[in-house]
Amino acid sequence: MIAAIIIADSETEGETRCQPVSATTNWACIDVLGQPVLGRIVDGLKNGGIDSVFVFSPPQGSFGIHADARALALDNWRAAGFRFAKCREEAFEAVLIANCGTYAEFDLDDMLAFHHEQGQPVSRALAADGPVDLWLIDPSRFSNSEDLRTDILATDPAYYELLGYVNRLSSAREFRRLVVDSFSSRCRLRPRGVETRPGVWIGESAEVGRGARLVAPAFVGRGVKIGDDCLITRGSNVERSSDIDFATAVEDSSILPNTYLGIGLDLSHSVANGRNLWNLRHDVTLEITDPVVMRPNPGNRARRAWSDIQKDGFRLSAQGVSQ
Amino acid sequence: MLTSGPVVVMQVPEMLNVEEVHNFMQELGPLLDSNRPRVVLDCSQVCTMESAGVEMLLRCLEEVLKRDGDLKLAALSPEAEVILELMRVARVFETFQTCEDAVRSFQAIPADAVPQDDPWFANVFNELGVLKQAS
Repeated sequence: MIAAIIIADSETEGETRCQPVSATTNWACIDVLGQPVLGRIVDGLKNGGIDSVFVFSPPQGSFGIHADARALALDNWRAAGFRFAKCREEAFEAVLIANCGTYAEFDLDDMLAFHHEQGQPVSRALAADGPVDLWLIDPSRFSNSEDLRTDILATDPAYYELLGYVNRLSSAREFRRLVVDSFSSRCRLRPRGVETRPGVWIGESAEVGRGARLVAPAFVGRGVKIGDDCLITRGSNVERSSDIDFATAVEDSSILPNTYLGIGLDLSHSVANGRNLWNLRHDVTLEITDPVVMRPNPGNRARRAWSDIQKDGFRLSAQGVSQ
Repeated sequence: MLTSGPVVVMQVPEMLNVEEVHNFMQELGPLLDSNRPRVVLDCSQVCTMESAGVEMLLRCLEEVLKRDGDLKLAALSPEAEVILELMRVARVFETFQTCEDAVRSFQAIPADAVPQDDPWFANVFNELGVLKQAS
């Protein structure tokens, strides 16, 4: 029996998080072409033959509210530590631990075979640019304290070379790269939605106004409203429940969930999230304070995100979420 | 020969919201009323610009053009560039890397003051017209 423990935390070796979307949300929890990376990891593990998946993430409704991101990260790891100890009691043969700040495509069977071959209690994934927070651990030969992460990092692992696609998802630029790589099929991540014509995906209940043009490749998420005479082009994705107002052009950009973009704008080479705008061409991050230009769209973002994950039917041990 | 006043350089505040626009216009407004106003706005400190701020810039440009003057933007911060591009007004203004360049641009001799030879294609159209008539 193999279990997986997923901690939704930014990948970092140091004390601070790397450019998270907000104080408590990381890029792996944000919709990418219709589904968060976290959800895709759970799907992938389910299809790869994992018996049980445990997810530790910010509790429902707490996105952007929790004051202490570091404390939250520690809480997640502490909870993961307790879970890992239980996996040892339940005699799981191996436990996969993933810090899902990174999106990585790998063959689980191959990694398992490597782990058994090496005979060490801990195996760690290694990408071309360095180690990835993805470990395979033999619970019978690894004992942990409350601080699971420190215990894992203190152990000398066998390194498993990742030959598949890896994206650290530590910044807006890397988020954007993941979207573009998906459109160009450089990774296995596929858009969720109906491909209404080659290279154009539209999610459920999305509305596209009169005269609006969606030029491939483009993605329009569930519940999105694209206003009249808008233009969505050059690998742009407009995620769930966003609203693009009349005659606005979105070019080579990502509009994250629940974002309103005003009338007659020209957004290019950017990632927009509520009031935050990352412009990748000028390499600048700014807060848009004018609600006429850009603002968060009302709606319970956290509940929708969690309902997507809960539909998978796995046992969830996230704080604050009851089954 | 037309005369005009000195070039005025003004620093745009860090946050150009409704309140700051009001304060800024109290300083800038009288300058726009002069004959052939020549204004350079230093945007190096701009961090945020709301739609009110962009509207102010457009109104100022309109006012100076009515009086046969000009308004130019200089030293745009990356934030200011992003906002002007986002609101599709970046190309409306003449922009310069530095205030000195912007000021210097006012001293350049305008094209219509220099006698121009007929362009090379002037006679081509005439000849085409003749050929068309002949056919």
